[in-house]
Amino acid sequence: MIWYVAKRLLAAMPTLVAVLTVVFVIVRIIPGDPALTVLGDQATPQALAALREKLGIDKPLLAQYFDFITAALTGDLGRSLVSGRPVIQEVVAVLPHTLDLTISSLVLGTALGVPLGVWAALRRNRLADYVIRIVSLVGLSFPVFVSGIFLLMVFSLHYRLFPVIGTSNLADLGDRTWKLVLPTITLGLVMVAYITRVTRSAMLQVLSEDYVRTARAKGVPARLVIRRHALRNALIPVVTVVGLYLGINIGNSVLTEIVFNRPGLGKVIVTALNQRDYAMLQGLMVIYCFLIVVTNLLTDLAYGLIDPRVKQA
Amino acid sequence: MRILARLFQVFGTNKTSWVGLAMFVAICAMALLAPWIAGTDPLEQDIIAKLRPPSAEHWFGTDEFGRDVYARLVWGARISLSVSISAITLALVVGGTIGLVSGYVGGRFDMLVMQVMDILLSFPALILGLIIVALLGPSQANLIVAIALTALAPFARITRAPTLIVKERQFVEAGRALGFGHGRILFVHVLPNIVSEVLVMASLWMATAVRVEASLSFIGLGVRPPTPTWGGMIRDGFENILDAPWLCIYPGLAILALIFSLNMLGDGLRDATDPKLRGE
Amino acid sequence: MSGAVDDTPVLRVEDLSVEFRVRGAWWPAVRGLSFDVARNETLALVGESGCGKSITALSVMGLVPRPQGRVGSGRILFEGRDVAAMREAELERLRGDRMAMIFQEPMTSLNPVLSVGFQVSEALRVHRAIDAAAADAEALRLLEEVKIPSARRRFADYPHQFSGGMRQRVMIAMAIALKPALLLADEPTTALDVTIQAQVLGLLADLKSAQGMSMLFITHNLGVVAAIADRVAVMYAGEIVEIAPVARIFSGPVHPYTEALFRAIPRIDREEQSLDAIGGQVPPIDRMPPGCRFAPRCPARRPSCEASSQALVEVAPGHSVRCGVRAPAGARAA
Ligand SMILES: Nc1ncnc2c1ncn2[C@@H]1O[C@H](COP(=O)(O)OP(=O)(O)OP(=O)(O)O)[C@@H](O)[C@H]1O
Ligand SMILES: [Mg+2]
Repeated sequence: MIWYVAKRLLAAMPTLVAVLTVVFVIVRIIPGDPALTVLGDQATPQALAALREKLGIDKPLLAQYFDFITAALTGDLGRSLVSGRPVIQEVVAVLPHTLDLTISSLVLGTALGVPLGVWAALRRNRLADYVIRIVSLVGLSFPVFVSGIFLLMVFSLHYRLFPVIGTSNLADLGDRTWKLVLPTITLGLVMVAYITRVTRSAMLQVLSEDYVRTARAKGVPARLVIRRHALRNALIPVVTVVGLYLGINIGNSVLTEIVFNRPGLGKVIVTALNQRDYAMLQGLMVIYCFLIVVTNLLTDLAYGLIDPRVKQA
Repeated sequence: MRILARLFQVFGTNKTSWVGLAMFVAICAMALLAPWIAGTDPLEQDIIAKLRPPSAEHWFGTDEFGRDVYARLVWGARISLSVSISAITLALVVGGTIGLVSGYVGGRFDMLVMQVMDILLSFPALILGLIIVALLGPSQANLIVAIALTALAPFARITRAPTLIVKERQFVEAGRALGFGHGRILFVHVLPNIVSEVLVMASLWMATAVRVEASLSFIGLGVRPPTPTWGGMIRDGFENILDAPWLCIYPGLAILALIFSLNMLGDGLRDATDPKLRGE
Repeated sequence: MSGAVDDTPVLRVEDLSVEFRVRGAWWPAVRGLSFDVARNETLALVGESGCGKSITALSVMGLVPRPQGRVGSGRILFEGRDVAAMREAELERLRGDRMAMIFQEPMTSLNPVLSVGFQVSEALRVHRAIDAAAADAEALRLLEEVKIPSARRRFADYPHQFSGGMRQRVMIAMAIALKPALLLADEPTTALDVTIQAQVLGLLADLKSAQGMSMLFITHNLGVVAAIADRVAVMYAGEIVEIAPVARIFSGPVHPYTEALFRAIPRIDREEQSLDAIGGQVPPIDRMPPGCRFAPRCPARRPSCEASSQALVEVAPGHSVRCGVRAPAGARAA
C-alpha cells in the first residue's frame, strides 16, 4: 500500500510540473507586467522597478520560470504583499474551515446521492425516476450563490433557525457544526445532484451486465444482487465524479464563503484579488495545483480500493 | 445540408430538449426585445421610490437607487446571453481548431496539446475565470476570453476523436488522391459526424458559462456597473437582503431558469443522440 | 439409447413464446415452443446464431432481460411447477440450487470486483446454512474438479487474472456447486481447448450418471452433440423445426434445414460446422415471412410453403418435423 502511494506520488510529479507551468503562463505571461497590474498605471517608474525586483520578475523569463518551479516544489510560496506574512501561514490559518465544508458536503452528497441514484435506476422510467431526474437537474442548475442566498433567506432570516454570521469558533465543536449546516447544504445540494445522476446511469449500465445476470442465476436475493454485485461496480464512475467535483467544490466554496461570510480559502483568494496582492495570488494558485494533484491521487487510491483491476497497473 | 438534416433528426425525438429549447428561446426573445418590453429605463434612478416591494407599477420592485428591477432583469439577460454565447462560440472555434489540428498532426504534438487541455480542464472553471479576469481587468471582452479559456478543452476533445478516426479511413486517402486539401477533407468528413455532440457540449458548457459569468459578477469581477447584470443585481441586493429580498429572488430565479433550460436542452439532446444512454 | 426412465419430465415447456420490443411493438423471438427434458436426459439445442437458443434457456431460469423482453405466453413447468408464473422470491430459491445455468459469455459473466473463490462459494452460502469456511472449502473442491490449475493459490484471484477458458470453467464450477436437477448449459465448452473440453464433458457426464442430472445443452458443435446428447432439438428462427433422438438426427434427418446442418461429419475437435453452408440469413424477428420461416432459403421449397405456417408433425415415435413438404400434416410416415 505504502509502495503504491509512493509510486503514484512519483508518477504525479510530471503532472504537477505541467500544472505549475500552466499557472506560470497564466500568472506571469498573460497579464503582461504584473507590477503594472498591482500598482496601476499611475505608479512611478521607481515603485514599479522596486516591485518588479521584489517579485523577481526583473529577470529573464526562463530564469523566472526556473525560480518559480523550484520555489513551488520546495514549498516556498512567498509572502503576501499586503500583510508580509508567508502565504502558507495565511492558508493554514483558514484551512480547517475549508476542510470542514469540503468534507461535510462530500459526505452529504454521497450519503444522499448514491441511494437516490440507485433508487432512480431501479424505478427507471417510473414516477420516482422522473422526479429524481428533474429535481437533480434543477439542483445542478443552481449557482451556489443563488441557492446559498435562498437558503439564507428562508432558514436564517425568515425562520431564524441558523446563524447569519458564519465565522465560527474552531475550538467550540457545537458552534462549529451549527454554522456549518447551511453552507454544507448549499454545497452539498450540487454534489447530491451530480452523484445522483452519475450513480443512476452507472447503475443502469451495470444492471444490464452479464455478471449481474450470473448473480441472479445463482439465486442471490435481489437486494444482495444490487448491493454486492451491482453497486460496487457502479461506484467506480461515481468515484471519478467525486474527484472531479472536489475541484468544482473549491470554486464553489468561494461563493459559499462570501454568502455565509465564512473564512476559508475562497475568501482568501477574493481578498487577495481585491487587494491586488499578486504574490499571494500566485502562492494560492500553487496551492490549488497541489490540491488538484492530491485530489487526483486520492481518486486513484479510491479506485484501487474498489476495483481490483487497478492495483495491477 | 447534412448538418441541418442531422439537427432536425436530433431534435425531433426528445421532449426534454424541446422544453429546454423553448425556455431558452423565450429568454433570448426577452433579451432581444428588451427596448420594447422593459417599460422603463433600467438605469433611471428614482431615489424617492427606492427599495419598493413588487407592485403593479414596479412588477419586481425597485432597488436601492429606485431603479426598476424588472427593467434591469430584462436588460440583464443581454449580458448573460451575449457573454456566454460569445465565450462558447470562441471556445468552440478555437478549441475545435486545436482538436482538429492536434488530431490531424498526431504524434508528440498531439500528446502535448492534449496534456495541456487536460490540465486546463482540471482547474475549476470559476477559479480559472476569477484569476484571469483579475489579471486582465474586468471588462466584457476579458470576461469572454476568460470563460472561453475554461471551456476550451472539451471542444478540443470533441473534434479530435473523430479526426483521428477519419484520418485512418480510406476515403481520406481517396480524397487526397483526388487532390482535395486537408482543410476540405476535415470540413466535409469530420464536422457532420460531430454535429450532435457539439450541440450537446455547447449547451451544457453554455450553462457553465452562464454560471461562471453570474458568479464573477456576484463577486464583483463582471461587467462594470451601472450596466445591469443578473449576478451584479444579486450582489447589490445581497446588501439589502433583510429589507428587500426581491432584489435577490428575481435575478436568482432568472439565472436558474436560463441555466436549467440549457441543461435540459443538453441533457435531452444527449439522450436523443446516444441510444445507449437513453433515459439517463 | 436414451437415458430417460422416469416419465414425469424435469422440464416441460408448453407453447412458449418470448417476445422483445422492437421499435415500439412486441415481436416473438421464440414462439410455439414445446419440449420436454426427462430426468437424467440431455437434450441438445442446436441452430444458427440468433435462432433463440439462449432466450429459451433464459426463460427457463426466469431471466429474460427486462424491460425489453418478456414471456408472452405458454408454461414452463420445472418439476411440475410453472416457472413463468412464479414470484421472484420463489424463483430465487430454485435458481442456482435446483436449476442452474452456464452462460455463453465467459469473459463478461463473472463479477470483476469479487474474487473467483467467493463467486463460486456464494451459491453455497445463499442456499445452504453453512459457514464461510465450509463454503470456501467446498468451492475450492469444485475449482479443482473443473481442473483449475493450482486452484488453492488462485482462489482469491480476480476474474481479470483468469483466461477465457479458465473463466468458463469457473462458471461451470458455480453452476454445478449445488448439484442441480437441471443444468442449462449455453455453449459451455466453446472457449476451451480440446483436451479440457473433453475433460469437462466427462465431468458433466459423471454428474449426470451420479446424480441423475438433466441437461439442456446448447451448442454449435455437432461433435459435442454426438458425444453428449440423448435427443436433439433443431431450432430455426424461434421455432423447433425438428426434434429426434440423437442417432436419428445424424442418420435420417428429415427437415431440409437439419439436413444442411448435419451434412458434415461430426468431429469433436472442429468448431462451427456447416452452419452457414446454407445461403441467406435468418430473418430479423420483426420481419418474419408469413408461412414457413425457412422457406426463403429452402432448397425443397414449394409455392404452398409460403402460404401458411407449418405444424410440427410426428414422423416416427419421438421424432417430429415441421415441414409441409417432407412431413405433411396428416400423412404420418413410418
Ligand atoms: N436483449 C434483446 N433485445 C432485443 N432482441 C433480442 C434480445 N436478446 C435476444 N433478442 C432476439 O432474440 C433472438 C434470439 O436470440 P438468442 O440470444 O436466443 O440467440 P442464440 O440462438 O442464443 O444465438 P447465438 O448462437 O448467437 O448465441 C435474436 O435474434 C434477437 O432478435
Ligand atoms: Mg446464445
